[in-house]
Amino acid sequence: MSHLAESQSLYLDPAIRDWVLIPIMVVMVLVGVLRDQVTVLLGGGASTKKPGLKAIRETRILARGATLRTYGNHIPLSSFTSRKNFLSNAYKKGEYLKNPAAMNQTVNPMTDPAGMEMMMEGMKKNFLMIIPQSVIMGWINFFFSGFVLIKLPFPLTLRFKSMLQRGVETPDMDVTWVSSLSWYFLNLFGLRSIFTLLLGEDNAADGMRDMTAMSQMGANPSGQPQDFYKLHLAEGENLLLTPHDWELGDIEHRLLVQYGKRKPKPVSDIVDAGDSDEKSIGSSSENKGKGRRKGVYPGIVKLYDSCLRFSLGAAAIPPKLTAKLFY
Amino acid sequence: MATRSPQNQASLYVPENIAHNVKTITFIRSSMSAITGSAAGILGLTGYFGFIFYGITALFTSFLIWALKTQAKPGIYFRGRTDVWTEGVFGGLFSYVLFWTLLYGIVHGVYLSTLAEKRIIALFDNLR
Repeated sequence: MSHLAESQSLYLDPAIRDWVLIPIMVVMVLVGVLRDQVTVLLGGGASTKKPGLKAIRETRILARGATLRTYGNHIPLSSFTSRKNFLSNAYKKGEYLKNPAAMNQTVNPMTDPAGMEMMMEGMKKNFLMIIPQSVIMGWINFFFSGFVLIKLPFPLTLRFKSMLQRGVETPDMDVTWVSSLSWYFLNLFGLRSIFTLLLGEDNAADGMRDMTAMSQMGANPSGQPQDFYKLHLAEGENLLLTPHDWELGDIEHRLLVQYGKRKPKPVSDIVDAGDSDEKSIGSSSENKGKGRRKGVYPGIVKLYDSCLRFSLGAAAIPPKLTAKLFY
Repeated sequence: MATRSPQNQASLYVPENIAHNVKTITFIRSSMSAITGSAAGILGLTGYFGFIFYGITALFTSFLIWALKTQAKPGIYFRGRTDVWTEGVFGGLFSYVLFWTLLYGIVHGVYLSTLAEKRIIALFDNLR
């Protein structure tokens, strides 16, 4: 009976454990699972309605511009320039807009049926968030208030007393004894990663994530449709501002340096070229780290490796430095 | 060619794979924090010892991820080399506290023993 020897003068009824502590946790888990399922039924976390061909074109052309901006250095200047000109012209003229006539007027979400659809989606999500949380909280407040439920194993300052022991109002009781509402909040935060384990990463089970989503929504109230013409114009401007700097500019020099036929230029940016010979792409991180510790430009050796890849005849894809982990 | 825009450095990584790796780390961390939380509760740790225990186990988990999952080369799998050590550590703390509290309460005599438990305990006392 070692556990009774502990310096502790308070014991709780085991019925509290069996009929309050464990049920609250079980109910919260089940409600989370239910929320996830209902969200799926109401049409997935993402948008239900499949966008039309024109709408897809409208968004994908933006992605094309971004891709060109990011990976532009992997293609020669002439290719880059022709793509740049084509895309920026297309953006400016609004050739890829879903509705080219609506270039200059802003869309009223009330009249646009797609906009209505999006607003309904937002409302549904909000309801799904608010209802279960308030129902559980009301349930706990109604049935399980007025007694302590569990002892926290860590001490808290006295400031938490009024919050954690609401409805108990015993002035001398230790702060570590907390009421059922505290257990509710502990579950609310702690079950989040449990839902990740149970339902996968993109679940809709926990309410806290929705709350953060809703606070973000303040910037873009209830999914108002964006003005794609403006986005296209902005992307076109970004594209025009993008400089081009071909990766293979001095590749023959680098190749000779790599095989030790030529000394690296004193002003060259390839600092570690000499000692990264015959290493695979994977070991680039080692060199990168070394370089960083020496105070050299970060990413230089990565650049070198990517050139090496190109020189070995890889296609114009980004070098895959990122491997996948498996469970 | 002396200067590189940050965009071009970013282009050397595959964002999908990085997202997948972060997911994997989160999965490992979630399960580990639930398990270590239960362990801390059963061991009956209180106060700072519990949080120190979490720190130690999180460090150990990070080491295992670093050694077994990334083969000591986190640079291949993540943008930063510290991501393996820090990713999801704080998020796991909440479920650690939840399981720590739950099992501490159940195991360590917060609740008065039920009649059946009392009988079993009395039986053991008699045997001794």
